[in-house]
Amino acid sequence: MLKYSLRRSLAVVPTLLSLIIICFFLMRLAPGGPFTSERPLPPAIMANVLERYGLDQPLHIQLWTYIKNIVFHFDFGPSFSQRDYTVNDLIAAGFPVTLTYGFWSAVFVLALGIPLGVVAALRQNSFWDYIMTGFAIFSQIFPNFVLAPLLVLLFTLALGWLPGGGWNGGHWSYIIMPAVALGTSYLANVARITRSSLLEILGAPYIRTARAKGLPERTILIRHALKPTLLPVISYMSPVFVYMITGSVFVDVFFSTGGIGQKFIDAAYTRDYSVILGLAILYSVLTFVLNLLVDLAYAAIDPKVRSGLK
Amino acid sequence: MSLLSVRDLTVKFSNRTGALTALNGISFDLARGERLGIVGESGAGKSITGFALMNLLSQPGFIDGGQILFEGEDVTQMSKKQVRDMRGNRMAMIFQDPMVTLNPVLTIGQQMVETLRAHRKLSFEEARQIALVKLKEVYIPSPVERFEQYPHELSGGMRQRIIIAMALLLDPKLIIADEPTTALDVTIQADIMELLLEMCQSNQVGLILITHDLGVVSQVTERTMVMYAGRIIENGPTRSIINDPQHPYTQGLISALPQQTQPGQRLKQIPGVMPTLSDMPSGCPFHPRCDHATETCKSQVPDISQSGESFVACHEVHRLQKELASEAAQ
Repeated sequence: MLKYSLRRSLAVVPTLLSLIIICFFLMRLAPGGPFTSERPLPPAIMANVLERYGLDQPLHIQLWTYIKNIVFHFDFGPSFSQRDYTVNDLIAAGFPVTLTYGFWSAVFVLALGIPLGVVAALRQNSFWDYIMTGFAIFSQIFPNFVLAPLLVLLFTLALGWLPGGGWNGGHWSYIIMPAVALGTSYLANVARITRSSLLEILGAPYIRTARAKGLPERTILIRHALKPTLLPVISYMSPVFVYMITGSVFVDVFFSTGGIGQKFIDAAYTRDYSVILGLAILYSVLTFVLNLLVDLAYAAIDPKVRSGLK
Repeated sequence: MSLLSVRDLTVKFSNRTGALTALNGISFDLARGERLGIVGESGAGKSITGFALMNLLSQPGFIDGGQILFEGEDVTQMSKKQVRDMRGNRMAMIFQDPMVTLNPVLTIGQQMVETLRAHRKLSFEEARQIALVKLKEVYIPSPVERFEQYPHELSGGMRQRIIIAMALLLDPKLIIADEPTTALDVTIQADIMELLLEMCQSNQVGLILITHDLGVVSQVTERTMVMYAGRIIENGPTRSIINDPQHPYTQGLISALPQQTQPGQRLKQIPGVMPTLSDMPSGCPFHPRCDHATETCKSQVPDISQSGESFVACHEVHRLQKELASEAAQ
């Protein structure tokens, strides 16, 4: 399993390299630059600024310096728009925020979605099943950019229970709404997938075998049915985990959490080349790590996958 | 007292408009250690009978009436807990396809040990020792290694041996085997059947073998029951069912065996198909396909009566037997 993880990690190096190169040139293709503004800077000052950030060099030299600094110093360069800040600083400030509520959002999704799906499957076509299905449809038509304002309307403006934005060092009351807004539609999907997966598994011949052995229903559900039921849920969660931790751009901006999603938007507006590149690299590394974790989780559950990894 | 005594067992399947009758008041007995074959076409009610005996019918199927007396207790009246205590313990079941009847995410050992511990107070190690002994009994090579393996690491024949070992774990009084060799390679089928026979004989276990293979039935069972459209139409010693079938349907089945046909001839067949549950004919369910059907057959369901060594549900069986005898005399 360790060997497999190492092999996968090595394979990510060329991927990252090509990603850096593509992003690097793509950004340079976009019109404008970090220091263009409505009132152009005097040419002499502009030349000084460009020299200060190394932007006067030919592109391939810039790229080479960039990669060299990452590899040898783990330095993703200075921010072009926010003076005195490096990309490392910005990520160190924003990433923990996004990671924190992304994590709680994932907990919310799994801790609620799986039991909901299980109950709906066990009580198929009952009141609870219909409630769950209704909720799933409801959350599909209320994506996070509709849900977030509604949450604020209810819990901040009407009831006054929760703060409508900000972070406050990650106090729990500031985490709840971003986590819920981010997770709700995934929660519904997880519940739906769990339900149909469990229904399918409960009809499987090996569940009938377990009944014929005289096992209690609870043992059958927990020992025999739950593990295989979770396999499709894990597959589904693989890209969702990444999205939850990284792609929460809207939630970051709406709740002014100061997470990296907000930084990404800012950087794109200001053509802050180094910040955009740094975040793109962060996202792809996260994608890789989370996919690997999901694959390992798959292997932990399914012995067939496990023997394939050896 | 017989081990199993089934009386007027009726099983229905509910649907939108009401309920369809899948088993129509069947009755039979099984003595201790006796081996009974149930044969018939797909949909005749063989497997339903097996499931009903274990009280394993799942929605929309349900037992609508009758008794299943197993060691004197009525399975249809048992509480959930009593049923659970019986299953896998006194009455065990072997299913059709060993590729899908073992849980793929649990080891062989886990699946055997949990069965033992569900019925007896045993430590894991004690249960493991029993499981290993049973694995050895069904000729599994290197049982200690197999115990740790997952189903996908084993061949189909090996898995069916393991399922047989699992059925025997708690020394049941009755094993219901539902087409235990259908999904297996022909070369392995005979081995598995032989093993099943040996295990039943050496442990004094009663066997109900559900199959459509008359060859297998004649190899393993002492008595055979022929089912058609949810009814038992003939029940007798296997030898006489094979050599001297009484019911026109059984006769058709036997003469359809390839051994009964000369090379180069077309295989015999019974014209028509078995009626579906929703489209049952009146009277004897076999009359639309029967060459000997009379007006009585079309209106009245035949009772079971003795003919030769068997019990047969046919109005015309005595007339047919006489005709056969006079033909033979001429």
